[in-house]
Amino acid sequence: MALQPVGAFTEEKVHALSSAFREPDWLTSFRLQSLKDFRSLPLEISPLYTKYTGISNFDPTRFSVDAPTEKVDLRSHYEGYLTGKETNVILQGNSTTIHVDLDETLSKSGLEVLNIHEAIAKEEDLLRSLFQDKLVKSSGEKYAAFNNAFFNAGTFIHVPRGVELKKHPLRKLLLIKNPGTSVVEQTIIYVEESSSLNFLEELYTSASDAPYLVSSVVEVRAHASSHVDASSLQLMDDRATYLVNKEVAAANDSHVNITSILLGSQITRSRLNFDLNGRGANTEGFEVFFCDGSQRFDLESNLLHNSPDTTAALHARGVLKQESQSIFKGMIKIAHNAKNSSSYLAHHAMLLDKGARSDGIPGLDIETNEVKATHSASVAQVDEEQVFYLMARGLSPDEAKKMIVIGFFEPVLSRIPVEMAREGAKFIIEGKWYGERRRLIDRESLMAITGEAPVEVKHGSDVFERHYKYRA
Amino acid sequence: MATLEIKDLHAQVEGREILKGVNLAIKQGEVHALMGPNGSGKSTLAYTLLGHPKYKVTSGDILIDGQSIVAFPPDKRAKSGLFLAFQYPVTVPGVTMFSFLRAAYNSVHTDEKNQPPTLFEFRDAMNEKMKLLGVDESFMNRYLNEGFSGGEKKRAEILQLALLKPKFAVLDETDSGLDIDALKTVAEGVSKIAGADLGVLIITHYQRILKYIKPTYVHVLYDGKITASGGEDLSLKLEKEGYGWLKEQTGVVT
Repeated sequence: MALQPVGAFTEEKVHALSSAFREPDWLTSFRLQSLKDFRSLPLEISPLYTKYTGISNFDPTRFSVDAPTEKVDLRSHYEGYLTGKETNVILQGNSTTIHVDLDETLSKSGLEVLNIHEAIAKEEDLLRSLFQDKLVKSSGEKYAAFNNAFFNAGTFIHVPRGVELKKHPLRKLLLIKNPGTSVVEQTIIYVEESSSLNFLEELYTSASDAPYLVSSVVEVRAHASSHVDASSLQLMDDRATYLVNKEVAAANDSHVNITSILLGSQITRSRLNFDLNGRGANTEGFEVFFCDGSQRFDLESNLLHNSPDTTAALHARGVLKQESQSIFKGMIKIAHNAKNSSSYLAHHAMLLDKGARSDGIPGLDIETNEVKATHSASVAQVDEEQVFYLMARGLSPDEAKKMIVIGFFEPVLSRIPVEMAREGAKFIIEGKWYGERRRLIDRESLMAITGEAPVEVKHGSDVFERHYKYRA
Repeated sequence: MATLEIKDLHAQVEGREILKGVNLAIKQGEVHALMGPNGSGKSTLAYTLLGHPKYKVTSGDILIDGQSIVAFPPDKRAKSGLFLAFQYPVTVPGVTMFSFLRAAYNSVHTDEKNQPPTLFEFRDAMNEKMKLLGVDESFMNRYLNEGFSGGEKKRAEILQLALLKPKFAVLDETDSGLDIDALKTVAEGVSKIAGADLGVLIITHYQRILKYIKPTYVHVLYDGKITASGGEDLSLKLEKEGYGWLKEQTGVVT
């Protein structure tokens, strides 16, 4: 019996969503244009990648998108998921309600955290300009267009000029519990000049009776001399199809770190672009994935240098067990005016089983001289000599491989600048190794379990000391 | 007092027979030196004892205290009390010495009730052995064998030996690639650990390490068989005369 298509991605659906949220006309038009793009765009625009579309292909009509009708009671929704000690958390349950709990420092700092529709009502001019010059463009990618047309949840985070929040992580939790509709959400991060933000997003599932879709758009606008850390940890269950589009616009002398730790979901399709728009902008990306079973990971990450003196690095590392598959596509683009820029892009994967498969396609597109750019990619099997060495010291084959895998992730994990993500990632990856779905926990509880001192961050300056594939 | 017995051991690497009937018995507390020319099968014996998957035993047996371990995977052999100090210790990037040693210590010292040692027990043992061997604390935060000098690698092997307290240790050319000072440090380390509870099989090309660790017996492995056994004077004779006389004696054509 064929599945009954429940998702009808029509103009009527857009109008229904838009009127349920009482949106202004400009937003309805934006959604309608996005729907056109969604319908017309192929899965891959670049001819380089068209033959790899199979890995994350799925039938979107299996899923429906509606305005949230259920009223989620966050207290019962999150029962068992919070210790009660959390501060500075944004709670989202499926596609409804954002509960924000800020401590005194953050609430008095001028930081603004709003549900996206509240933000549109409150600061319509600013939001309209952000939608007119959307970072995640509908014309750029099919599922970016999908999200822009059908988003039914969202968060707007605004750090005013000169407000430094680097030391006060702001967490956003999304907990999926039998969602009646797809969760299509946007997180718009707007950090003004000389400000800083440390944002950490976690995606979990507590229950799912049926397959579901989660689509996230994350936009980071880092103004001049600002500093933004935006990390996410995706630990949803295997009924999830997860689509994520992240776009960073880094202005003059800004510094942006993006971390993605991807462990959950059946299908993950991730698109991450760093636009280094201002002179002296500096970005670093960390992507870690660990998949097993029949999981499929499709990642594309690009470093786009549009100004002189920009520096970017992207470290992607994945481990694949059983029949899982991944593809990583990445391009360094250095525009003709982006002289004196440096760029580094690396993808390394380790296969643990014969049925696992991973491809890496890094590329360079450089239009100017006086730049440094390098990429590296490798896909390797687990080293049998390492396994033997560890087994000769009494470790079981499983423990030996686990240790090699954690070690393989270490060069990337140890560089993650966000304390909670850096310390928690190893704990969570180990959990996945043992078939447990763990959650991020605070430093004290973590140390009590592992007995190890937390890992101090290693600074990544040495990545550029390697040899260069391209130097001009 | 346990015994490690190697009985008429035949082993192959990639279909080629390397060990052609090795017989050897080592008691706890004894030090045996195994010498022999290149290609005689010394390292093959070491790997075969620990169960490297590339080395296939075609006949014969390996026993610890009368129990055959020849069907055991390497981890079970380690837990049975066998240790190999590698000639070329393997680098495992990203894994700190601390986490590796703790995992190894826990695996080998887990008691009958399946209760691993506590973190404090491990730390105490580690500090004691590091002090004994003069190993600097900074070692613990380094990645396993990554960027280690030849001497550091061998010292790390001896530290593992001290911490895991096996009944029998095979030292596979632990003296190779070391300058005289490093050799002395490593050899002194082994002497500190050796005692009534440890049987040692030192595989070496040279007599020089045996100046520091006095062997009870010296054996010569030649073309996959032990062709001569004796006391320390045998190693001196080999040092002086080489292996040529053995060739004549055994009539092996190589």
